[in-house]
Amino acid sequence: MKRLLAAIFAMSIAVPAHAQEKLVVSIWGGSWRDLVADTVAKKFTRETGVPVDFITGGTIDRLNKAKLAKDNPESDITFTTSHVGWLYIDSGLFDKLEMSKIPNAKNLVDEARLSPYHLGAWAYVYTIGYRTDLIKDINFKSWNDLWNPELKGKIAAPDFDPSHLIVVSAILSGGDAEHWQKGEAKLKELKPNFKAFYTDDANSQQLLASGETPVQDVLSMNAYYMVGQGVPVTVTIPNEGGVLGVDSVAIMSGSKKTDIAYKFINTLYDPEIQANIAQQKKGSPVVRNAKLDADLAKLPGVFTSPAEWKRQIIIDPKLRAEKLPEWRKWFSENIMN
Amino acid sequence: MAVTSGPNELIDPTGRRQPLLRIFITPAAICAMIYVGAMMMILQFSVREFIPGSLIPGGLTLANFTALLKPLYGHVFLNTLWICFLTASTTLIVGYPLAYALVHVRHPLMKSAILIIVITPLFLGEVVRTYSWIIVFGNTGFINSILMGLSLVEQPVQFMFTTFAVVVALVHVTIPIMVIMLATALAHVDRSYVKAAESLGARPIRAFLTITLPLSLPGIIAGFTTAFAWTFSAFATPQLIGGGRVNMVSNLVYQLGFASFNFPFAASLCLTALILTVAVLALLRIAVRPIEKIGPY
Repeated sequence: MKRLLAAIFAMSIAVPAHAQEKLVVSIWGGSWRDLVADTVAKKFTRETGVPVDFITGGTIDRLNKAKLAKDNPESDITFTTSHVGWLYIDSGLFDKLEMSKIPNAKNLVDEARLSPYHLGAWAYVYTIGYRTDLIKDINFKSWNDLWNPELKGKIAAPDFDPSHLIVVSAILSGGDAEHWQKGEAKLKELKPNFKAFYTDDANSQQLLASGETPVQDVLSMNAYYMVGQGVPVTVTIPNEGGVLGVDSVAIMSGSKKTDIAYKFINTLYDPEIQANIAQQKKGSPVVRNAKLDADLAKLPGVFTSPAEWKRQIIIDPKLRAEKLPEWRKWFSENIMN
Repeated sequence: MAVTSGPNELIDPTGRRQPLLRIFITPAAICAMIYVGAMMMILQFSVREFIPGSLIPGGLTLANFTALLKPLYGHVFLNTLWICFLTASTTLIVGYPLAYALVHVRHPLMKSAILIIVITPLFLGEVVRTYSWIIVFGNTGFINSILMGLSLVEQPVQFMFTTFAVVVALVHVTIPIMVIMLATALAHVDRSYVKAAESLGARPIRAFLTITLPLSLPGIIAGFTTAFAWTFSAFATPQLIGGGRVNMVSNLVYQLGFASFNFPFAASLCLTALILTVAVLALLRIAVRPIEKIGPY
């Protein structure tokens, strides 16, 4: 019996310490979870022997859970939008990052260096997507084309985040995100053209696929997914630029696995992994050394040069986190109701 | 009502000892305490100041309630009440014949078929049920395909994002509850009264209107009240079918609480909605009291 116990003890100490633990990653469900599982997590586990577990949920659900769990976080790593990342930071939920532990991050584009606590993971744009078979006479060279009276009752926009259209209206009216009120009157003029407001990615895709709303302020990745499904959708970036979106990654404050968490983030910035993510989601890699296929690189919303990044409309994530409630309330009161 | 007789047992109103009653009510008591705790949290959030860019509310304020005085919010509350009324009324009209058939059909297979049709919606998630209505109501959906196929219309009829479509989908969601409540009430109507009326020369319609209908009034009132309250908290159906154009209170709570992080204002909306629901149901109760008395007599 003693021999048996000794053997079990010997076996347990022979297994590398990190092989016994798991890295827990908090992320949105569905295709986002699958994306990270199939790319970053697979390579990370292959190289370290550490399995990755996922906890999934909506952006705000996960934020609330993290807030409740505060000093004993359920996850070691969290993916969220860049502006909601600031709400995590303000609540003390993210660790300050030691960039020396993420050597691959030296290739990050400036737009992905969000804060000392969170970094960009991949990028996309909110821009104009439309059904080519249903909208034939408008080519959307400018965001102003959304105001075309022929589009009465044809447009959809997200109901969860009106930032894009509020900032676009402000820019078209001589303002910017900080002075968004300049665009209020213009955005009210767009009201007759709205037909519906979508609640999530699936709802956006369904409205586009059915032709119910043939024009959308749409997430470029969603529009490309519909193209892949055979729906005749064109994604176009107006002259003023698309509204840049950067999803972010961070290490949770209180995580007891920070060393392997850094390795995970470093794997995320491996140029091959970034190229793979861009290929799967038709989004932008956030490292300069990712090599993309020519066909992918020329898609609107996939940026491969600093000039392309700079041409987009960038809303400061911290400002966006602060302004979103005000924007959301204004949009609900003046446009949706 | 029960009274305590000792440390581990209760005595019911008839004087019988109920040694297990305390154990049986413990889970419900725990749930009630958690519920009250959650309500207290909502109450304290509703009187706290919202700080943009922060999840932590500030000091005490009544600003969240004064902001509700804007016409927009009054419009959404009235719209919610109107949709609840339409849904409860339509569910009653559609559900009563179904419940009547369920109770009176004698053939077991037919009875089972009605029961399955009635309760099947309960086994589907609300989102799945709602998406099925999107397929029916869409521009290229079932109804428009038929209308256009028969050349009855040239352009698709706009059903989606209308109050009509939201109410139809809500009726589908609510009908199982209504039918079950009505069927229970109808099953308790003594059939010998109807037979007595018929033997005295009353036609079936007269017997139904003067005996079955009045005696089933408690079920009608309970079903209507439940459907009304049930619909008040509807979220997924108005969210997806309404497409942001038909908003109910719960959608506003989502828009302002979850999408804007303004939890204090969302909490004040929740609390106002709860008070409004209780007030409307109390008014409904008072309004139907004279009718309810018809039942027992």
